[in-house]
Amino acid sequence: MSAERNQPIAVPTIAALATRLGPTALAIAEPLLAEVRADRSRLPVVFPGLPRRLGREPVRGGRTSLGPGIVDLDAFRTCDLAAAWLLLSAAATDAELWDLYAHGDIEERAMLLRALHFLPVGPITVRLFGEMQRTNMVVHLEAGLCDGDLFSRTVGQPDFDASVANKMLLKLAFLDLPLHRALGAEAHCNAEFSRMLQDLATEREAAGRSVWRDTNRAIGRAPTAGTAARLIGGLEHGDDGVRRSAIEGLMALHRPDLRAFAAERLEREPRPEIRALLQRLVTG
Amino acid sequence: MLIFEPHIHMFSRITDDYERLSLAGVRAVLEPAFWLGQNRTSVGTFVDYFETLIGWERHRAHQFGIHHFCTMGLNPREANDDRVNQAVLDILPRYCEKDSCLGVGEIGLDDQTKTEEKFLAAQLELAKRHKLPVLIHTPHRDKKKGFERCIAIVKEANFPMGMVLLDHGNEETIKITRDLGCWQGFSIYPNTKMDPARMVSIVLEYGVDRMVINSAADWGVSDPMMVPRTVVKLEQAGVPRPKIEQLVWQNPIGFFAQSGRINEAMLQNPARTNLRETFEGNSVLRGQDPDKV
Repeated sequence: MSAERNQPIAVPTIAALATRLGPTALAIAEPLLAEVRADRSRLPVVFPGLPRRLGREPVRGGRTSLGPGIVDLDAFRTCDLAAAWLLLSAAATDAELWDLYAHGDIEERAMLLRALHFLPVGPITVRLFGEMQRTNMVVHLEAGLCDGDLFSRTVGQPDFDASVANKMLLKLAFLDLPLHRALGAEAHCNAEFSRMLQDLATEREAAGRSVWRDTNRAIGRAPTAGTAARLIGGLEHGDDGVRRSAIEGLMALHRPDLRAFAAERLEREPRPEIRALLQRLVTG
Repeated sequence: MLIFEPHIHMFSRITDDYERLSLAGVRAVLEPAFWLGQNRTSVGTFVDYFETLIGWERHRAHQFGIHHFCTMGLNPREANDDRVNQAVLDILPRYCEKDSCLGVGEIGLDDQTKTEEKFLAAQLELAKRHKLPVLIHTPHRDKKKGFERCIAIVKEANFPMGMVLLDHGNEETIKITRDLGCWQGFSIYPNTKMDPARMVSIVLEYGVDRMVINSAADWGVSDPMMVPRTVVKLEQAGVPRPKIEQLVWQNPIGFFAQSGRINEAMLQNPARTNLRETFEGNSVLRGQDPDKV
């Protein structure tokens, strides 16, 4: 993140973050910023202490537009916002951000990844998504991929095309993280991602293991060979969540020729709320 | 009985040791940065080592419900090595600010050279700047003189004695330290330094105030179970249970709580264990089903 590129987004975001942080937190954070501005080498010394100095309490506030994107503030802590405020205010460079990540402990890395939601998307975002992909740590994938639309805003950046994005989304399935937590990710579902999900599901079923609950929702949005059969089969699954997601997947398919399968299931569906969904599918 | 093991080099121990420690009631360990058995040739290897202490080693401990902390520092042996000494001192500030770093250590004297003294003094200043206690390694050779020299350097630095833990003590050194106001550590070894029976005698004679015991287990012939073993010996010798708990739980917590980064309440529950979670894709499991371990 170059200081020049940073500026147009940074100014209103810094102000918005400052408002959310409030005067008590700012009174702690401002001297730290002054320390960094006076000596850049203090950034990696100041950064690790933010959680214990600013606090780990959730900010709260639900889903909201803050800075360049949308975040679910219930998942962000005071120190995460303070980290973003500090990095933006200090106009941290990509090299500095990478250094913080590379030499950070688990919590620092998570804090940095949460702060990324408020920073301009650029090469460092792509690089850190690559690290999340490689290192496979749940807490970091949650921090970078979930509770905001950072992933959606990053798709299309150089070196972050659909094939890279698909691998990233597949992590949600591997780690059983709900698709809806990656805000806007559903819009990036595609036939190739559906193929990957269906292959994973087949492999898991063969091993007697559970399948990601959002599989049916995702493949319904972007069908590929075998999608319709998997969704129809899902209507008979013993798990309520799987049946529900199969119905939602079929709804997304918009295939009137498949309504007969829903009608056939309707009479035997024991759950009233799932029956109501089936009814909607049958009547189109 | 809960145990805080305040000096153990898990970096050089196998994963089974964590399981044994956990089963014996060890709720937390502190791993001082130390010498790895041979000198390192560049600062980069210190970086990797420090990051193992705050990364993989913490993860490994957490898999067994054990909280893992560390102290960061340039050990006295390598303080003598001009290839690395100043460069390590330069990188230490960022590691002193890591959440799991509870002090500066182990620092101190080994061969008792002027260079060791210089870097001991420098690291006392570092600890002051980061408001951290210090864990001081005292020499194994010519111990009494080295002990006295360590104390003199601490005094010259005007470092608060209450934030000093002088480690690897014995019957001789306790006579020196008990009136100074610093803390005294005893490393219980199978064959050297201090053994459980001698430790019982020290406790019976001097009590347990400002005293901690540890195994200092490393890559040599040592035993990570030495603190639990000594607890049994103390019980058999009739030392009241509250005194033993003070020695192996409240005291180490009390000393390292001076960092402002831990307290007894946060250690009441085991560390969060999630065997499904990996660290950079690495797991301690070898084929086990994480849901069934």
